Amino acid sequence: MGFFDTLARWLGMRKKEVNVICVGLDNSGKTTIINKLKPQNAQQSDIVPTIGFTVEKFAAASLSFTVFDMSGQGRYRNLWEHYYKDAQAIIFVIDSSDKLRMVVAKDELEQLLNNQDILSKRIPILFYANKMDMQESLSAVKVSQMMGLEAIKDKPWHICASNAISGEGLDEGVEWVTDQIRSMKK
Amino acid sequence: MLGLKRDKKDEEDGFSLNPFNNLEKTSVLQEARTFNETPINPRKCCHILTKVLYLINQGEHIATTEATETFFAMTKLFQSQDVTLRRMVYLTIKEMADLAEDVIIVTSSLTKDMTGKEDMYRAAAIRALCRITDSTMLQSIERYMKQAIVDRNPSVSSAALTSSLHLMRSSGDVVKRWVNEATEAASSDNIMVQYHAVGVLYHIKKTDRLGVSKLVSKFTKQSLRSPYAYCLLIRIATKLLEEESDGRDSPLFDFIETCLRHKSELVIYEAAHAIVNMPNTSARELAPAISVLQLFCSSPKPTLRFAAVRTLNKVAMKHPAAVAACNLDLENLITDVNRSIATLAITTLLKTGSESSVDRLMKQISTFMSEISDEFKIVVVQAIRSLCLKFPRKHGVLMNFLASMLRDEGGFDYKRAIVDSLIGIIEENPEAKEAGLAHLCEFIEDCEHTVLATRILHLLGREGPRTPSPSKYIRFIYNRVILENAAVRAAAVSALAKFGAHCEELMPSVVVLLSRSLLDTDDEVRDRATFYLNVLKQSNKALNSAYILNDCTQCKYNKALNSAYILNGLNVSVVGLERALHSYTQEPSETQFDMKSVPLATQPLAEQKAGAGLFGAEGQQGAEVTPTAKAPDKVAATRQDIYAEQLAAVPEFQGLGPLFKSSAAVQLTESETEYVVRCIKHTFTNHIVFQFDCTNTLNDQILENVTVQMEPTEGFEVLSHVPAASLPYGQPGITYTCVALPEEDPTSVIGTFSNTLKFLVKDCDPNTGEADEEGYEDEYVLEDVEVTISDHIQKVLKPNFAASWDEVGEDYQMEDTYALSTVKTLEDAVKNIVDHMGMQPCERSDKVPADKSAHTLFLAGVYRGGHDVLVRARLALDDGITMQITVRSTDETAAEVISASVG
Repeated sequence: MGFFDTLARWLGMRKKEVNVICVGLDNSGKTTIINKLKPQNAQQSDIVPTIGFTVEKFAAASLSFTVFDMSGQGRYRNLWEHYYKDAQAIIFVIDSSDKLRMVVAKDELEQLLNNQDILSKRIPILFYANKMDMQESLSAVKVSQMMGLEAIKDKPWHICASNAISGEGLDEGVEWVTDQIRSMKK
Repeated sequence: MLGLKRDKKDEEDGFSLNPFNNLEKTSVLQEARTFNETPINPRKCCHILTKVLYLINQGEHIATTEATETFFAMTKLFQSQDVTLRRMVYLTIKEMADLAEDVIIVTSSLTKDMTGKEDMYRAAAIRALCRITDSTMLQSIERYMKQAIVDRNPSVSSAALTSSLHLMRSSGDVVKRWVNEATEAASSDNIMVQYHAVGVLYHIKKTDRLGVSKLVSKFTKQSLRSPYAYCLLIRIATKLLEEESDGRDSPLFDFIETCLRHKSELVIYEAAHAIVNMPNTSARELAPAISVLQLFCSSPKPTLRFAAVRTLNKVAMKHPAAVAACNLDLENLITDVNRSIATLAITTLLKTGSESSVDRLMKQISTFMSEISDEFKIVVVQAIRSLCLKFPRKHGVLMNFLASMLRDEGGFDYKRAIVDSLIGIIEENPEAKEAGLAHLCEFIEDCEHTVLATRILHLLGREGPRTPSPSKYIRFIYNRVILENAAVRAAAVSALAKFGAHCEELMPSVVVLLSRSLLDTDDEVRDRATFYLNVLKQSNKALNSAYILNDCTQCKYNKALNSAYILNGLNVSVVGLERALHSYTQEPSETQFDMKSVPLATQPLAEQKAGAGLFGAEGQQGAEVTPTAKAPDKVAATRQDIYAEQLAAVPEFQGLGPLFKSSAAVQLTESETEYVVRCIKHTFTNHIVFQFDCTNTLNDQILENVTVQMEPTEGFEVLSHVPAASLPYGQPGITYTCVALPEEDPTSVIGTFSNTLKFLVKDCDPNTGEADEEGYEDEYVLEDVEVTISDHIQKVLKPNFAASWDEVGEDYQMEDTYALSTVKTLEDAVKNIVDHMGMQPCERSDKVPADKSAHTLFLAGVYRGGHDVLVRARLALDDGITMQITVRSTDETAAEVISASVG
């Protein structure tokens, strides 16, 4: 880490911009996670189901993230693909307490991976096994088994258990994404 | 040097002022992919969005897939925080809302902006959001809308209120729930917010009369800040007053009157405008409003002067006395630098002024006629026309003026207004006829509008032969045959033929002229010339009158039919004829096809207006002579054809023959009673079918087996009933009763029927509509139905009554003299006779010239069974009115029935 880089960061000038798309089933906690990642003063107090998408920005370490927070409701999922093209990372949020719909999430993930815009790219995918505080929630390992994540060979991926309300586990994931993107640049 | 060179090139192009000219849709949409790039370049993206907007607004068609792709690319621009770019995005979202699919994708982004801290975004985001939201999505944004309506920022509140107005159209019931928020906004300090809030409140309560009047009385008490809201209130109050019609004592009128003393000119004008436009205002009520307008007339602001003089001009005919009070101020406005104001001032003066001032005003107006636009010239023309009606003696000056206007440059609308006025004057004022025809003749010598030329030629053909020297028109008409296009030539040939048929001394010359058209290049012209020539050569009066002078329906659609010109004599319904011919060819029979079985055409409304000084039939005809046939809209099924079809579907009425006439509907109950019944009488050759349209207004009853029992007067015989099987709440049902007309005495055709509605009542649950098993018989007494003479006669227009009169002949003529004691004026007498007989007045004889003591009324019709009936009624006014009535018919019974009916 050179001196100029440090100086630039200190001056708040040159943070690298990264485009991230955040997807997952409805009510899995996407908007809550993004909201929690934002600086304290920009956070919203109440979260309502997203219709369509919203664009949010937050900074982490040396990167400035622009997140397209997509709506997870069934009728809007087919609109995700419009935003795959320029995404440099994907955050896939899973409700780890919802065993019943895990297959639906798996199905959506497969569709995502088979999309033309994703297939060709070596794009990092971060999975949040969200709602870890819930009684009946599964562990990150269990979730990754159920989702069949081992099958993903050509892309770097990482899963971490999280609690979006308290913010627990979120930073770990963001750090992983930051590392991945930086290593890719090299 | 370079700059100069470019300038010159620019001039040659002539387009270079607009940088967006020659934009290619495909390349712009290609450019729109730039939106996907990161980082975003706001300036560039703004420019591209402008191009997209330009294309859409130029009417360029963008297919759904293309639009959707561009739209989604644009959504990426939400990541930029550039204010200008974001607002551009809002605009584009609004424009593309209907073009692209899945536009709801931006819903959350817009809600975020709308509730965010950036005030620049909020109002525009609301507008865009409401544009993309449909009724199913509205629920999810309702909370935000409610908040926005009561927002402290006026622009946000206004945007939410106006958007609510738009949403009202698609999902009114959701918007209705926002009434509390709108009420709160109505007490806002901001004038725009208040105005919009009052508007929203009014639209929410629009359907509820009581609600609206409460709203108005509430706001009239608490004084509003916004003059716009006041104007709106005045309009609402005016509307309420119109519906209410209980005099001028209501508090609403007082409110409007107090607005005359408001401090804002806007409100004062609105109030004055509302008062002068109200129907039946008294002079006392009018006076304050007029004096306000009078004050405005001398205002230094041109807009106020214009508004005042325009309003005065509009109502000058309605309240001439009141407007005359402003004459002095209007005189001053004649020299106003603003020509529009001056024109309106002069025309107003013309409407209100006395006969002596006409000459002076006409002179003044002619000094600047060339400086005003066509639109105002038409205002002048209309003023002159009404002036002509008011002062018939001035027609010389006025017609000369119109004629000189005809010679000037002007558009089609302007010329048409002049020609309309001239024709109107000719028809109203017989003294002006010759001068007017001369002016029109001169006009067609150099007329570039085919429609006007054909109309004038038709008028010449109709009026020309009856002038003292018909021969002088021949030259003008024949010139058209030589010089004009096919449509005008055809009209000219028809006009020539009419001269030949009407004036025997001109016949030989006309035959010569017509024979020259036999080799015309156009089919229609040739056909007409050949046809007319052959008819004229027969030298038969009856033929002439039937085929040339009474050439009333158009020959355009006849080409298809061999029996073409028979139509001209008999005004049959074309749809009916088509149906009759079709069924005739389907089932060949030994007998010949009978034209009389075809239902007669009901007179088009326009023709009935003929007396009103407009020209109905002639105008239509003139327009239709043009080769572009207007046949399709003419052949549209009339009301009667629809009934005929309905009746033909009832098996009981199969043997009755063709439908002769259907009367207008008569109410047999009050409109608020339990059961609403109206009756339509259908006359057939020997029967009358009464159609009862019944509506059950009780939601806790179902009526079954509904019939109407009729008690006829002597001679009539009730044959059958067709019941309405079931009559649930609110759904109209039809029951028929068929009555045979008296056979032994064919002249007694008039009678009164007393009616009773009989039915089986079943109580039912108002909510579910489920009926009880058991019902009970009940009946309901209706008002009487009368069968009058007019039910047996169909109106027919005979353009040349005298010819038809001779044609029918004296074989069955009835004559009688009566004294009409009940009516006092000739107008009333004529109106009564026409209403009673149900026949068509011909030759404009339903208009009684003023201050004449005698009048002759000509009526024509067809009696049940297809017999022509003509009536000539000579009226004389001394103490009462004496009427000598002569009836001619092709059938003895018909003549008897009609003359008997008069007594």
